[in-house]
Amino acid sequence: MLERLRVGVVGSGTVLERYHIPAVNAVPEVVRSIVVDVDSNRAERIALKYGFPISSSELSDVARHADIAIVLVPNGLHAPVSCELLNQGIHVLCEKPMARNSEECKAMIEASVRGKAKLCIGHNRRFQQHVKLAKQIIDKGLIGEVVGVTAEEGSSDDWPRTASYFDPVISGGGALLDVGIHSIDLIRWFAGEFKEIKYEGNGSEKTVESDASISFNLSNGASGKVVVSRTRSLAQKLTLIGSEGFIEVGLWSPNLGLRCVKGKAFQNFHRLDVAVARRPPSDGSFVEQLREFVSAIKEGHEVLVTGQVGMAAVEVVRRAYRGCSEDFISRNSRPE
Amino acid sequence: MNEQTRVSCVRTENHDDLAKIFRRGVEQLPSLLPRTLPRQVVIKPNLCDITAWETGVTTDPRWIGILAREMRAIRPDVRLRVVESDAISAYKSFRSCDETFERLGFRAAARDAGVDLVNLSTCDTIEIRLDGIPQALRIPQLLLEEMYFISIANLKLHGYTRMTGVLKNSVGLLADAEISALHPYLSVLISRLHRLCSPDLCIIDGRIGLDGGGPILGRPVRMDTVLLGDDAIAVDEAACLLMGIPSDEVDHLVQTAKDFERKLGAIEVIGDLRPSPFRFDGPKIFDAIQAKFGNRRLHQQMELFSNRWIDRGFRFRYDPLSVARSAILRLVRNRRA
Repeated sequence: MLERLRVGVVGSGTVLERYHIPAVNAVPEVVRSIVVDVDSNRAERIALKYGFPISSSELSDVARHADIAIVLVPNGLHAPVSCELLNQGIHVLCEKPMARNSEECKAMIEASVRGKAKLCIGHNRRFQQHVKLAKQIIDKGLIGEVVGVTAEEGSSDDWPRTASYFDPVISGGGALLDVGIHSIDLIRWFAGEFKEIKYEGNGSEKTVESDASISFNLSNGASGKVVVSRTRSLAQKLTLIGSEGFIEVGLWSPNLGLRCVKGKAFQNFHRLDVAVARRPPSDGSFVEQLREFVSAIKEGHEVLVTGQVGMAAVEVVRRAYRGCSEDFISRNSRPE
Repeated sequence: MNEQTRVSCVRTENHDDLAKIFRRGVEQLPSLLPRTLPRQVVIKPNLCDITAWETGVTTDPRWIGILAREMRAIRPDVRLRVVESDAISAYKSFRSCDETFERLGFRAAARDAGVDLVNLSTCDTIEIRLDGIPQALRIPQLLLEEMYFISIANLKLHGYTRMTGVLKNSVGLLADAEISALHPYLSVLISRLHRLCSPDLCIIDGRIGLDGGGPILGRPVRMDTVLLGDDAIAVDEAACLLMGIPSDEVDHLVQTAKDFERKLGAIEVIGDLRPSPFRFDGPKIFDAIQAKFGNRRLHQQMELFSNRWIDRGFRFRYDPLSVARSAILRLVRNRRA
């Protein structure tokens, strides 16, 4: 096994500069290698700025110069780009959502098996310290059995969205697939599989939805609602109500609100605002995500967010859309 | 009079039969023990230094076996845990909780009684903010769980808080060893910790008290008394009576009583409580304890001294020029000075 893994990035948008470059810099087991973007000037500029020795506009160059590829292209290109790299044995860390639909997800998983390469999906929130703490608290049974879930996330100005975000074919979906998939993934992780799903959204023939909500039941009988928006500021929190308490997980802040009815600390406190002890000063989830991916490659264990996990979240969104309108589905998921 | 404010006081000259002492305490106040228990019982002794219980500084490890038997008589499948955290002692030396468990006999006592020992500084922790405390506190996740909480404190004086007892013992629930920054807020902190984790069974083992400067510096005094109760404020008040300290001079007791809307002076002591005023004279230290601290200080100084020369030796071996340069610069500076 190589000493340091060479990292190539495919796509050089905001998410690269804001999150993935700091992560690459913070993980000593990897070394910067190549930046690929359809816009060769941009690729060159980014490579120069962040110390990547090679830039290119050709995807085929990645296989020659990298062991790991971080795929940061529009949703509609996740599958074709990842499949090409995985087939050549390049390990892929693909941003969320994994793809636009189940068929594309399956193709990625098959390519990963064929190419004997690791595939990890960028549901980075599973690596946030306070989210891990919430998982620990839930798994210890401190809030009892989860009976209800609500999540709200949205803002009009949190992210510089390009035209591809609004094109139904390229994006494969709107706010639910782009923003809501984080909460969907966490709900699956914390509480279990989605069963019945009812979707409401404002998508039209020409554009994806900017506001959406899903009401659902989980396999354990819990019910819940996820509300997402690209036009309104929402509460930015995920609340799990248990038979013996509740936990509120900040989606944009590293805090937890907690009540465990039987817990000693709650004899005199209705709720406690809890944080991770000695947490890092800023969100290190992308660093942890990359570190775990590298460790999985080097030590041969499975990644935390596998292709199957990524696909399951995409399937929840597809099922929600499917319940909404057949036209919408055919418009947004052509390969299906 | 409210049942909660009753305290059982057991006088004994025989310091060895703890089981009998505890039983007598329960006979005097039958409501002391619950009829049912949750699955988990947590015992917090006072292990503020590696000093034997006979000095009055720490808890007698034999309490673990006694309490384990009593708790199992109520619920046979109960899980017992003895908890303590690392600490920086009043002498500013680090005291590892694991080492304390080992050296004070708690590991052996826990093994014999089938009890788990938990170092709160190394277990899963969370950070919380409590009203009136300017910094976040790291506390064990254990406090989020259902438990029956037993606090065993000693009868001691304390330089900051006048006396230590059950309320002050809860400071050891904080996971961080270094808490000196919290000293200006000690009264509020103790009150908030009592809100966070109020003991269900409070024991002040005053067979031997510690007068002098406290909480680890002082002279052991034979007091032959054990106080038991289910209310920490009342038991601490009884301890004040025993030590001859007016309870309204103990800031954290006043603060906690105020926060819990309680009136001080409204306790009923069942049993034979014979007050014996403690002398608060900080500078005087029990000889054996002083010798031990002296030894520790000498050891630390020797270590610092030898490490400094080891460092210099290595630096000289690898980079003689820079060592020579810095030595010359230092000489010049000293001359100018």
